Amino acid sequence: MIKLQSKKKRILLQILLLIMVVPYALPLVQMFLGSLGGRGFYNYVAVWETGVVPYYFRNSIIISASVILLVYIFSMTAGFGFAKLNILGKETFFWLILIALTLPEVILLTPLFVTFQRMHLFNTFLAVIFPLAALQLPFTILLTRNFDEGIPSELMEAAKIDGATTVETFWHVILPLTKPIGSAVIMLTLINSWNSYLLPLLFLQSPSMQTVTLLPQYFQGEFTNDQTKILAAAVMTALPEIIAYLCMQKNFERGMSAGALK
Amino acid sequence: MLKNDKLSKKTRMNGFFWILPAFLFLVIIIYYSIFYTFNLSTIEWDGLSPVMERVGFDNFAKMFKDKVFWKCIQNTIIYFAITFVIQNFLGFIFAAILHSDVKLPTVHKCLIFIPTILAPSTMAPVFRLMFSPQGMLQSFFTKAGIPITVDWLSKPNTALFVLMAVVIWEFTGMSFILYYAAMSQIDREVLEAAQIDGAGELRILWTMVFPFCKGTTVSLAMLGVIGALKTFDIPYLITTGGPNHATEFLGTYIYRQGIRQSHLGYAAALSVMLLVMAVVGAFLTNRANKGDS
Repeated sequence: MIKLQSKKKRILLQILLLIMVVPYALPLVQMFLGSLGGRGFYNYVAVWETGVVPYYFRNSIIISASVILLVYIFSMTAGFGFAKLNILGKETFFWLILIALTLPEVILLTPLFVTFQRMHLFNTFLAVIFPLAALQLPFTILLTRNFDEGIPSELMEAAKIDGATTVETFWHVILPLTKPIGSAVIMLTLINSWNSYLLPLLFLQSPSMQTVTLLPQYFQGEFTNDQTKILAAAVMTALPEIIAYLCMQKNFERGMSAGALK
Repeated sequence: MLKNDKLSKKTRMNGFFWILPAFLFLVIIIYYSIFYTFNLSTIEWDGLSPVMERVGFDNFAKMFKDKVFWKCIQNTIIYFAITFVIQNFLGFIFAAILHSDVKLPTVHKCLIFIPTILAPSTMAPVFRLMFSPQGMLQSFFTKAGIPITVDWLSKPNTALFVLMAVVIWEFTGMSFILYYAAMSQIDREVLEAAQIDGAGELRILWTMVFPFCKGTTVSLAMLGVIGALKTFDIPYLITTGGPNHATEFLGTYIYRQGIRQSHLGYAAALSVMLLVMAVVGAFLTNRANKGDS
């Protein structure tokens, strides 16, 4: 963007960047070195041998996949409805959805705690999936609506003249055109549901139901504060995320920034 | 557009059933919870006993007299002000540097952005170790002969700053990505012309690039306000709000009151307050945004 004229300045800038970036790498270094403390690589073996790690991953995958599915279907249909169809009192409905945009999840705790207990939903995946999806939706509906409004209505009219029903138009015209926002919605939902901590903490009590975000806590109990093994567990949960990010950098960055850019 | 709308009035299908599933879902979970919370905030109840006592606005009166509540508000304001300035300053500088033909841009980019995608709960044990006397900071100070004891997390006047450092570490990537995207839109020829006219790099950055990215800064302010009010994971996992409420936020305090101590009514009153502040905060930043542009 700004071309630095002198070579000296360019070298200085490179050094400045390096110095500024080091603090961002330090915690990762600490995590890795810490995990090799004491008995070294054996820490990883000890964590793996507890046999629980695959279950935590499986649970996180089930929950994230379900949340993504719900959010994707609901945002695509609602975004299309809000952008392109006639709805009586449309803006009122939209406004009601937008209010929920700012909702901190901790507000849901007490009501859902009491209600889920009564409905025997405690310790089920649904108790986490439903609130997580509901917390994502206001935002993803807003994103999808804004995107869908950019699609020319002529395309829909043409489909209608060809005799297509609204469902067919949605399926064959809208869905293929909304792939960019669809993938942003999926990435954003994936990161938020995979990283969610509070809802699983509260609603998933038995270890066989818990998610990867609760893994460090489980090992705190299991290894009574043997830091090295807790950090080995942390590395094992962080690694798949880092690898996924490195493989799909653009998708992750677009998903995360889609929210703020509107 | 007008012609289009006229045409579509007849041909457009009723879309009510397209928004119904999403809307019902939100009403059942979100609005149910909000109304439940409003109702609960006027009740004194431990969640188990059949006795629920209507207490009117007593919970709110109690809240305004509660020192911990005011501590939460104070922490939230300090937290927002400091993390907002530092995180966005760093994100902006990183974006500008990485737009300036430096070597290995992708490696740096990844290092800045990885913290943003990692779960706070995964990193919490790392930070607890790092900022303890057993961590690498301490061994660095010891080796360098600097007489500092890294016990910052156990001291009320430093714990909050450690948490803010963690938050800045985590979210600089977000600010960076947004500024980086905004800067790609700048017309480079204008900047080059300014440079030929003799303007220094820092001056161009401050008087031309930064104002250009104003929209991004406002978006980040909005995310920051809501984010500060929502704060839960990092203080809960690293300090559980302590020592002595020094790092208590509304989120952790609601959890403590509602779930741990079963003061459901009081937790609900705090939740109502939090909700009102989040809506007002979002509304004000949004209005500032519209008023300016």
